[in-house]
Amino acid sequence: MYAAWTVKHKPQTLSDVVGNAEAIQKFTEWVKSWNKGVPKKRAAFLYGPPGVGKTVGVEALANDLKMELVEKNASDYRTAEAIQRFAGLASQYDTLFGGRRLILLDEMDGVTGTEDRGGVAAVTDIIKRAQCPIVLVANNAYDPRFSTLRGYCLLIEFKKPTVREVMKHLRKVCAGEGIDAEEEALKFITERSGRDVRSAVNDLQALAQGKKRLAYEDVAWLAQRDRKDVIFNVLRTIFYSKDCWEAKRAVDTADMDPDMLFQWIYENAPYQLTDPHDLAKAMDALSLADVYRGRIRTTQDWSLLRYVLDFMTAGVAMARERTKPSGWIPFRFPERIQWLSRTKAERDMRLAIGMKIRRKCHISSVRAVKEVLPYIKIIIENNPEMVAGIAKWLDLDETMVDYLAGGKKQM
Amino acid sequence: MSFEMWTEKYRPKSLNEMVNQKEIVERLKSFVEAKNIPHCIFAGPPGTGKTTAALCLAYDLYGGVYREHLMELNASDERGINVVRETVKTFARIRSIGEIPFKIMILDEADNMTSDAQQALRRTMERFTETCRFILIANYSGKIIEPIQSRCAPFRFSYLSKEDHDAYLRHIVQKENVKMHDEGFDAIFDVCGGDLRKAINTLQAAASLGRAIDAETVYSVIGRASPADVQEMITLAMKGDFIGARQRLREMILKYGVAGSDIIKQIHIEIFRSGLPEQWKVKLADVIGEIDFRLVQGADEEVQLSALLARLTEAGYELKRGG
Repeated sequence: MYAAWTVKHKPQTLSDVVGNAEAIQKFTEWVKSWNKGVPKKRAAFLYGPPGVGKTVGVEALANDLKMELVEKNASDYRTAEAIQRFAGLASQYDTLFGGRRLILLDEMDGVTGTEDRGGVAAVTDIIKRAQCPIVLVANNAYDPRFSTLRGYCLLIEFKKPTVREVMKHLRKVCAGEGIDAEEEALKFITERSGRDVRSAVNDLQALAQGKKRLAYEDVAWLAQRDRKDVIFNVLRTIFYSKDCWEAKRAVDTADMDPDMLFQWIYENAPYQLTDPHDLAKAMDALSLADVYRGRIRTTQDWSLLRYVLDFMTAGVAMARERTKPSGWIPFRFPERIQWLSRTKAERDMRLAIGMKIRRKCHISSVRAVKEVLPYIKIIIENNPEMVAGIAKWLDLDETMVDYLAGGKKQM
Repeated sequence: MSFEMWTEKYRPKSLNEMVNQKEIVERLKSFVEAKNIPHCIFAGPPGTGKTTAALCLAYDLYGGVYREHLMELNASDERGINVVRETVKTFARIRSIGEIPFKIMILDEADNMTSDAQQALRRTMERFTETCRFILIANYSGKIIEPIQSRCAPFRFSYLSKEDHDAYLRHIVQKENVKMHDEGFDAIFDVCGGDLRKAINTLQAAASLGRAIDAETVYSVIGRASPADVQEMITLAMKGDFIGARQRLREMILKYGVAGSDIIKQIHIEIFRSGLPEQWKVKLADVIGEIDFRLVQGADEEVQLSALLARLTEAGYELKRGG
C-alpha cells in the first residue's frame, strides 16, 4: 500500500529525531518538571523553520514518556469559541486512565488575521490557567501577534540540522526501504532541500521509490534551474486547481518542455487521483491530449499544441471531483523516462536488427522488431544451430548474433 | 545451414500466384496487359498482400529484371520531407530504358509520412508522372492527404478468408514437410485473423519445435512471440490496481515490444470471454473501440491503453458497488 515516507519513517523516539539535541533536552526537562508541580511557564513555544522536527519532537517525547498527546492544529483555533472547546482538556494533568496529558497546538502561524486575534488571546487565557503542559509550535515566535502570549511561554528554538544529520536520516530511510543510495545522491538531495528534513524525505521518495539503487545521476537533473520546484509547483496547480484558467496558466509560467511535463502528469495522475471515476476522467483527458500530439506529428501543425495543453492541464484539473483529500502526496519522477534510458541499449540493438530484417522482408524496421524479430528469437531458441544461417541470411554482425543467441533468458 | 523466413521464401513472385484479393489481382493483371498503370493506393490491414501485390505487379510488368525498374521506400524509416525531395525525385525523374517507359516507386507505410512530406510527394507525382508511377501502401488510406488520394486509383485489401489462409499454409506445410493437425490451422487463423505474414511466421516458429503442430503449440508460440499477458493486466485493473496494470502494460510495450494494436485486440477478445455481465461487455466494447481509434491517431500507445485501463478500473469499481 502507498504511504508517504515522511509518515512511514517518522521518528518514534526522541533519540531518532534529527539534530537539535540542545532544544530537545531543554524541552524534555521542562515537560518532566511538571511531575514536581506546575512550573512557572505553563507552555513551551517551539519555533524554527519548517521541517526541522518540531512537531515530530513533541510526538516522540509523548511517546517516550507514555503521555496522552492531544494534537490541535490551525483549523481547531480559527476563533476564540473553537479554542474554548478544548479548554477543558487543559484543566487536568492526569487523564482518566492514569497517564499524563500533553496538549500540542501545532501550526500557530495559521492563526492569522484580525478575527484570530481573539484566538491568540483565548490561547493565552487557557495557558494562564493550564494544569497540564501545553506546547505551541510555529515558524516564527516573534510575530507581533504573539507578543503577550510569548511572556507566558518557555521559548525553545529549533535550528536546521547539519547536512550530516539529515543525510544520516536519509540513509536510515533508504535502509528501511531496501535502497542502496550513493552518498553523493543523498548529499545532493539534502543540500537542495535547504536541510529541511521533511522536504528532503519527500524528494527522496519522489526520486527513489520502487528502486533498488539511487545514483547521483538519478538526482542530478534537479540541478538544472531549480527544475524540481518548477515542476512540482506546476503539478500541484494542475492536480489541485478548480479553475481551468489557473491550470492552463501554470504551464506558461513553468517554461518547460510540454512533452516532459506530459510525462510528469501522466506518471502522477493515478497517485494523485485515487477515485476511479476521477482517474478515468484524467486519463481520458491525457488520451485526448495525446491524440492532438499525434495530429501535430502527422500535420506538423504546431498551432494544435494549445489543445494538447488544454487537455493535459485543465482537462486533468477538472477530473478531480470525488477524490478525498488525503494530505500531501509527493510527486514522483516519471518512471518511464528512467526505464527508457535503462533499456536504450537493448532497444537500439533490436532496431539495428530490425533494419537488417527490413532489407529482407519488405517491412519497416519498427514493425520488423515487433512482427518478425520475436519469431526469429523463438526459432533460435528451438534450434540454436540455426543461428549461423539466420546471421548469414540477414547479414548480422557478431554483437547481433550474441544478442539473439544469448538474450533469450533475459527476454 | 541456410535459412530464410518463410514469408519471403513463399512470397508470390507473380500475380498468378496470389491466392487472395481476387478482384484486385484481376484489375492489376489488366494493367499488366495494357502495359500501363496509374498511381495507386493499396490500403488495408497488415499481412493481406499489399506489398506482395506491388512487387508481383512489377515482376509481371518488367520480368526478371524488375528490380532495376523499381524502388522500394519505407516511409516509417525515412519519412522526412528530405527523402521525398532527394531520393524520390532523383529516382522518379530519370526515364527508364526498355519497353515500358516508366518506373515504379513503392512507398510502403505511406500513412506514416508527415503531411509536409506528402505535399512534396504530391508535386513530385505530378511532375514525373511520365517517368514514374507511385504505389502508396498504407494501413489507413484516411491518413493520406486528399490531393494524393484523388490522383490515385484506390485498392482496398481485406483480411484473408479462412479458405485462402488454409490453402496457403497447406502449400507451405507440404513443401517444408511439416506435420500439422487440422486444429493447428484453425488455431493459427483464430489468433492471426487472416494476417498472412503473422500466420506464416507463427507456422515457422511452431515448426521449429520439430514436432507435429497442434493448437496448443500454436498458442504457446503466440504467447512467447507477444507476451501480452492481457488477462492478468485486465484482472489487476478491474481489481482497482491501476498502477500495477499500467506497469504490466509498460513491460509489454517497452520490454517485449508488443504492438499496441495487438494488445487492444487481445483486450477486446478477453472482455467478451470474461464472466462480466453481458451489458458491461457491450459498454466496454464501446470504450475499447474508441481507444482503438485513438491509438491510430495518437502519438503514444501506452498513454492510450492506460486510458482504457483506467476505464476498466472504473468499471470494476462500479461492478463491485452492484452497478
